[in-house]
Amino acid sequence: MNSIFVLILGFVVAFIGYRFYAKYIDSKIIQADPKRATPAKMYMDGVEFMPTSRNILYGYQFKSIAGAGPIIGPIIAIQWGWLPAILWILLGTFFIGWVHDYGSAMISMRNEGASFGGLSHRLISPRARVLLLSFIYFYLLLIVGAFGNVVVSTAVALKAAPMAWLFLTIAGVLAGQMIYRWKKDIILTTVVTVGIAMLGIVLGTQVPSDSILGASVANSRWVWAIAAFVFCYFASVLPIWRFSLPINYVASYIVFLGLFFGIIGIFILHPDFTLPAVTQFSIPIGPVWPIMFVTIACGAISGWHSIVSSSGTARQLESEMDARPVGAGIMFLEMMLALFALIIAGTIFSSAGEYSAALAKGPGAVFAAGVGKFLSAVGMPLEYGRAYGSVMMIILAVTIMQLVVRFMRVATAELLSDVSPVFKNPHIGTIVASILGLILVMTGWWQYLWVLFGGANQLMASLALLLISAWLVSDGRSAAWAFYPMIFMFVTTIAALLYTSYNLLVVKVLSGAVKGEALIGNTLMGLVALFLVVAALILAWEGYKAFRRFRAIRAQAAPSKA
Amino acid sequence: MKPGLIRITPRQCHQYVTELVMSEKDKVGFFQSVKEFVYGVAAHDSARFALKTRASMEHLFILITMGDMLGVPILPPYYSLRLLPYVVPQISTWKRRMMREKDLTDALA
Repeated sequence: MNSIFVLILGFVVAFIGYRFYAKYIDSKIIQADPKRATPAKMYMDGVEFMPTSRNILYGYQFKSIAGAGPIIGPIIAIQWGWLPAILWILLGTFFIGWVHDYGSAMISMRNEGASFGGLSHRLISPRARVLLLSFIYFYLLLIVGAFGNVVVSTAVALKAAPMAWLFLTIAGVLAGQMIYRWKKDIILTTVVTVGIAMLGIVLGTQVPSDSILGASVANSRWVWAIAAFVFCYFASVLPIWRFSLPINYVASYIVFLGLFFGIIGIFILHPDFTLPAVTQFSIPIGPVWPIMFVTIACGAISGWHSIVSSSGTARQLESEMDARPVGAGIMFLEMMLALFALIIAGTIFSSAGEYSAALAKGPGAVFAAGVGKFLSAVGMPLEYGRAYGSVMMIILAVTIMQLVVRFMRVATAELLSDVSPVFKNPHIGTIVASILGLILVMTGWWQYLWVLFGGANQLMASLALLLISAWLVSDGRSAAWAFYPMIFMFVTTIAALLYTSYNLLVVKVLSGAVKGEALIGNTLMGLVALFLVVAALILAWEGYKAFRRFRAIRAQAAPSKA
Repeated sequence: MKPGLIRITPRQCHQYVTELVMSEKDKVGFFQSVKEFVYGVAAHDSARFALKTRASMEHLFILITMGDMLGVPILPPYYSLRLLPYVVPQISTWKRRMMREKDLTDALA
């Protein structure tokens, strides 16, 4: 099948989903009202609650939800064949993904901009809130592990990437200094710092890491893992304007330009899929159901979006009418990004063997090869294009990773400061998060790690759908459009996590199949998966009780028909 | 009522202004929209974090100067009263932000 046909199919699904399905739900069931005051207007504080233009929120929402997730998931999932992956991306977004993003924003808006902790307390139970917050810590840990692995494998596989990463860091720190200290013009700052980052890509291609550091250091996973966590350490303990944010600012231009020209390249080359449409039902990481449904998380449905939509976007929407374009519209845009990644993986290799060889080096190698090919269609030399792709992959992973380590530091202080005040220290919190992340990166098999990250992500999505359904029932609205997706996601995610934890703990650890470092990684990952399953089952039970409670209240309130 | 004057209720007035603002918003040009989108991708998050940092400092300042309002007398009342006129515009927002339930997800987005 031709890649252009896939893109057109994506546009058609997005058009129908956004124009008809989402509009019907928005106008008939939720009954969005332009005259209803939003939390941004009611509680405007000039900081978090702030009416913001819809166009700005498009950018904010897209940047917040579209990281490495929608790219890496499809690249791994094409091992089952491109057809199941395309079907899940399209149908998942159409029936579940936008419902989840839009619903999360709407439920928060109709509840005074409450965050998910507050909503789960209000709609389900106090225990649900405690579970949610402890669950989020493990979720963040799995993000660090999965994305850290991507950074390390990309730095090892593509020798141009480390130099470009270093220059990006220098450019970011300089951007922070120019904007906040020297008060320089933003356009000048952008041109200078993005120029420096681009120079890093050129230099990285000319002077690869193995020519400077030697092959043994350049190929050492430990070296790049420690480099990644030192990077995250600075991001966590330095003021956010000094390191994290300006690096993200410069990085956003690199990613945006790469995606823009990459998509143009697809239209110019319009290649056919070369990998098989369907391979086999079960591959080494598991069967297509349920494992593929958690491997492709972002791009079809992702729990991360619910946090962004509720605690971020819902507090900035100036009209209820903007919830559909921002919440649902941007989810459909992310679906297109996932299709872009799928086209990269499915079209650039001449055979399945060639794809497997590239994937063995990590998803970054597959992505970089694809970006290189499509950027060459718009005139960039293949070698530079590949270096550009590798930097995009590292940027997409490390910019999320640094923020997550920072949040884990905050979470460590929140959860453990009662045990000992030493955990309030930002350095201690960061070191705890980094050591846990480092263990996962260095000892876990990356494909299992990705599945677990996807499982945690989808579980978060299930919880968000549970909250949306509970709110719809409590408000007397039709809930089927959120309830059935929630059931599907709960069952699928729990099955995926049980399957993975069984594989890790029983097949690998208890049977003695793995030893040494891998034993630690597999045990840790298996236990995290089990914890997530238990947390999900308790949440499901709490949710069931909440539904019964709402039904009973409504039955009492209904007038007699006699 | 004088001839020529139309009496409208506050609700109608609000509706009129809302429609006017909405129609003005729709007139935003394509390049302005692209500019806003790029700002949203690249810098909106930074601006929000900068505002959050400033708000935290302001909260600390108000707590130090107006601690009496919460039963925490840090500054002698004489100085608090001297500063009160400058802090008054911030107090309602400060109270709202202090009283609002917060959790980890607030830090994530």
